[in-house]
Amino acid sequence: MTSAASESDPAQLLLQVAAGDRAAFAALYKQTSAKLYGVVARILPRSDLAGEVLQEAYVRIWQKAGDFDPTKGSPMAWMATIARNRALDEARRAKPLALADMQESFEPAAEESDPLGSRERSEQLAALMRCLSQLDAEKRQIVLLAYYRGASREALSKRFERPVPTIKTWLHRSLAQLKDCLST
Amino acid sequence: MSLSPDDDLNAAEFALGTLDDGERASVAARRLREPELDAAIIDWEWRFAPLSETIPPVAPPRDFLREIQARIAAGAQNGERSGNVVDLTRRLRRWRVAAIAASAVAAALIVGIGLRESTRVAIPHEFVAVLQKSADSPAFVITVNLDTRDLTVRPVAAPPQPGKAYELWIINDKLGAPRSLGVIDSANLTANPNLGKFDPAVVQNSLYAVTVEAPGGSPTGAPTSAPVFVGKLFPTGK
Repeated sequence: MTSAASESDPAQLLLQVAAGDRAAFAALYKQTSAKLYGVVARILPRSDLAGEVLQEAYVRIWQKAGDFDPTKGSPMAWMATIARNRALDEARRAKPLALADMQESFEPAAEESDPLGSRERSEQLAALMRCLSQLDAEKRQIVLLAYYRGASREALSKRFERPVPTIKTWLHRSLAQLKDCLST
Repeated sequence: MSLSPDDDLNAAEFALGTLDDGERASVAARRLREPELDAAIIDWEWRFAPLSETIPPVAPPRDFLREIQARIAAGAQNGERSGNVVDLTRRLRRWRVAAIAASAVAAALIVGIGLRESTRVAIPHEFVAVLQKSADSPAFVITVNLDTRDLTVRPVAAPPQPGKAYELWIINDKLGAPRSLGVIDSANLTANPNLGKFDPAVVQNSLYAVTVEAPGGSPTGAPTSAPVFVGKLFPTGK
C-alpha cells in the first residue's frame, strides 16, 4: 500500500510525526529504518541488541519529533544521532561483549577510512571532511573509529597500542582542532 | 558562553562516545541540570552528525514497526506522550509552575535559615534534594539526615514504570563510577537506603540520580541508561 505520506520527504514526515500522525510515523520507519539499522549495527554487532536499540530509537523519535530543528541539520542526521546515542549506551552496558566483538571486526570499512570517497554529501559533511583531513592520519582514525564503531578510549588504546591517557590527550587535541576548524 | 574548556571537551567526548562508564554517567546526570553543558553536547552531536551520511543502510533482521507501535501505545498509557501537542504543552506549563513553587519554598527555607541562625553558627543536619528531569519537572524528593546518614525517597510526580524499576545512584568524582543506593520500591515509589559507608562531605556534595532499570535493579552494577531524574542536596536548616 502506498499512502500519500510515504512519498513525503523525511522533514515533512517528522513534522507530521510531531503532531502525532501514526501513518506518517509508519512511512518514516519504512524510509529510514535500514539507514538507522546501519548506524546501530556498526556499534552493536549482535543483532539482538541492535534490533532492541533500533526499536528504542524509534520510540524516542516519536517522542522527540517536535524537538527537531531543521536549521541545525538534516532529519536523517538528527535521527541517526538518536539511534547512535542509544547504541552507545547499550555498547557501554554490554561492555565486555562489545569489546570482544570489536576485536574481531575492528578493521574499518572502506567508508570509515575514507569517508571522502562517499559520493553524495551535504555541505556539512564536506566541511567536516575538510577539517578531519587536517588531522594526522592516526588521530583522524581514532575519531572516525569512535564515531562509526562506538570505540571507547579503552578499545582505542588496545587497537592503537597506546596508553589510555595518550588516547585521551589525542582526542582532546583533535576535538579542539576540529571545533576551531569548523567555526571558521 | 561560560562553559569551561574542560567541560566543552567532556561534551565533545560524550557526543563522540569515548568517555568511560563513570564519566559518561556523570556527564549524563549533569546535563539534566546544566543547560550550557547540555547545549554543548547537542552542538557537538550536530558537528559529528554529517558522518552518518557515509554509513550504508543495512536491512534490519525483521520489520520492527508493530513492536515499536506497541511500545509507543504502552508508553502513551503511562502518560509519556499523549500524541497531542496541546496536552504536552499544558503539562509542561503545569510543571513549570510547580518548579517555581518548589524553588520559592527552597528560597524561603534558605532565607529562613539565614534569619534564624544569624546569631549562632548553624550546622545543618538535614538536607533535601528535588530530583527532576529538567528545571520544570520534579519527580522525587529525597531527604538525608547527615547524623544518621539515613536517606528517604518520596515520589512527587514520578510515573510508575511497569515491568521496570527505578534505581537510585550517588554520583561523585571521588567515588569513581556511580554507586547504587538500591532500587526504589515499585509499589509506593519510596526507598530508605543508609549512606553510612560514604563520607559526609561526599554525601553532601554528590549528585543523586534515578535511572530506569530491569526489575530488581541494574544487572551490571552500573547504570544501564542515562538518568531520568537528577538533583543535588541543599540544607533545610533542621
